[in-house]
Amino acid sequence: MKAYWQLTLAQLRIFLRNRQVLMWTLIFPILLMSMLGLFLGKGNGISLTIGVIDHDHTSFSNEFVNAISKNEAIHLVLQKDEEDAQTSLKNGDLQLVVTIPKGYESSLKNSGSQPLPFTIPVYYNDTNFAVSQVGLALVNGVIDEISKQRVSYEPVVEMESHGIKALHLKYIDFLVPGIVAMMIMSNNMNGVAGQIAAWRERGILRRMQGTTLKASTFIAAQITARLLMNGLQALIVLLVAHILFGVEIRGSWFTLISFIILGTLAFMAIGFIIAGIAKTPESAAPIAGVLSFPMLFLGGVFFPIKNMPEFLQPIVKLLPISHLSTALREIMNVGAAWSSLGLEAAILGGWVIAAFVIASYTFKWE
Amino acid sequence: MNFSEDTIIDVKGLVKNYGSFKAVNGVHFQVHNGEIFGLLGPNGAGKTTTLEMLVGLRKPDEGTAIIGTHDILRELTKVKEIIGVQLQSTSLFDLLTVEEILQMYASFYPSHIPISPLIDDMLLTEKRKSRIKGLSGGQKQRLAIALALVHDPHVVFLDEPTTGLDPQARRTLWDIVLQLKNKGKTIVLTTHYMDEAHILCDRIAIMDQGELIALDTPTQLVKSLQSDSALEFRVLQEEEFIDFSSIEGVKKVGKQSDVHMLYSDHLQKTLTSLIHFATEKNLQLVDIQTRTATLEDVFIHMTGRSLREA
Repeated sequence: MKAYWQLTLAQLRIFLRNRQVLMWTLIFPILLMSMLGLFLGKGNGISLTIGVIDHDHTSFSNEFVNAISKNEAIHLVLQKDEEDAQTSLKNGDLQLVVTIPKGYESSLKNSGSQPLPFTIPVYYNDTNFAVSQVGLALVNGVIDEISKQRVSYEPVVEMESHGIKALHLKYIDFLVPGIVAMMIMSNNMNGVAGQIAAWRERGILRRMQGTTLKASTFIAAQITARLLMNGLQALIVLLVAHILFGVEIRGSWFTLISFIILGTLAFMAIGFIIAGIAKTPESAAPIAGVLSFPMLFLGGVFFPIKNMPEFLQPIVKLLPISHLSTALREIMNVGAAWSSLGLEAAILGGWVIAAFVIASYTFKWE
Repeated sequence: MNFSEDTIIDVKGLVKNYGSFKAVNGVHFQVHNGEIFGLLGPNGAGKTTTLEMLVGLRKPDEGTAIIGTHDILRELTKVKEIIGVQLQSTSLFDLLTVEEILQMYASFYPSHIPISPLIDDMLLTEKRKSRIKGLSGGQKQRLAIALALVHDPHVVFLDEPTTGLDPQARRTLWDIVLQLKNKGKTIVLTTHYMDEAHILCDRIAIMDQGELIALDTPTQLVKSLQSDSALEFRVLQEEEFIDFSSIEGVKKVGKQSDVHMLYSDHLQKTLTSLIHFATEKNLQLVDIQTRTATLEDVFIHMTGRSLREA
């Protein structure tokens, strides 16, 4: 028992004295969160900037412009020069450019006698397809409304839409649990693999083997120290996310910490396996890299798993990181309780047991 | 535990093979209680492998050993409680301090001696709060020995304790080893330094190519040459084998690359005779040296090679 505490204490001291590692393992997730959070996760839904060029300058054309600007999602910019507008469109400063040609008012006034509808050209940047489509739909709605008014159209069926903003989730809410999961994975899997392999190479473990210390005591102390460190790091990241981005934790802390522990154990065990397989510390890093990179992209850290291609779904569903990120997300975003996370807990638990069994066979002092 | 009987380590036919290479080929020897026992030999002779089998870091392919009253194969944990180990180039957690690492190693054993006096004994008093990273080679080696002593073992194994140290640090370490002996510890050390073996060891086992080729006190080993002086020289433009054994007073001859060695009890007679011999045969002798015979000569005599080139 004394050896267990001493080893745990030693590992914690090593963590705390290795300032550089400590700094960068914290800075990386916070930086990633800030960058992705600021650039991708701005606000709620899509905002559109539409340029309008009015060549008609009549009360009718004014009415059209007002109708567009009434939409909350649209930021309207009046443009004079067609070429400038096109350039801004290409640069992405504008998502759509609407031109009202001369003769708009007179055409509408004579609409009864005209066989063809008046055409309003709308330009969009087709490299930004999704946003353009939303913009086109919005402008189309405005034009449609005007058309209907002019011909005194009486609708027979009407849609009534209700947007439900129950949780008010933003991309950052999706991102932060993913980043915590990523941090747990890389700190433990890569961290354990690299450290144990290096200690073995340098003969540090061999020297301990010369004492009456048991391997199980050594491993138990490693696990304890890493749980404490990772728990602390996860808390710091969550705190930063809460202060900077207002990310909420809706579920219970107990459930959240339970899953952080479960994830830490699973990835630590995988790290011990890698340390056992790797012949040198130099080969431990690439092996850990080969495993962690696909997990970063397939595991639902940055993108929802539903966006993955169909054939990858079964693989994705077995990865420990998917379940860790899903569970953390459910706890933080929706406030899920233990009872509703049975599948995630079972799969992570399965990984912990399987990986520790394999690790106990592959672990070598030297 | 009672170690009053004379033998504390009994090595019984240890064998270790690495593939087809026989690293240790069935060695037998006994270590007496309270002595400094040296395993001497060139690199690759099997000294370290033998030592590592004794401390349980390698499993022997054949044979076993008894340390104290315990068999190293069946009661390794008991053995580990009564032995202390300093391995070749021990590496430790760089970021811990001297005191912390000693406390950590102390916790691995059922009981341990107070840390502070141990630090003082190993001349590390000023470094107790320093991180291992910043210690010099000699300080690291003394710390490694401190770690081997932390649980007050009966037998201390030191694997090449002075390799890579400067002369000053080597002498400091010798003093420490001799003090350990005075405290009643039995010490088993490996070395490839003749002077070290001669100064420290009560008895020396000479190993070469996995075999034990001699075991005796340093004085007896040198005496086995039956001559107390050695004469060395080279012959310029030596083309064919020249037999120097007919020279007066020569007990043994040796040759190591192009250096000839003659062992004699009557240096002056042999030297005069050699000069005559050279003049007669029209040989040009260079680099003539005379010295007292050492363990090095014992090794050369037994293996035909010097310790350093072997």
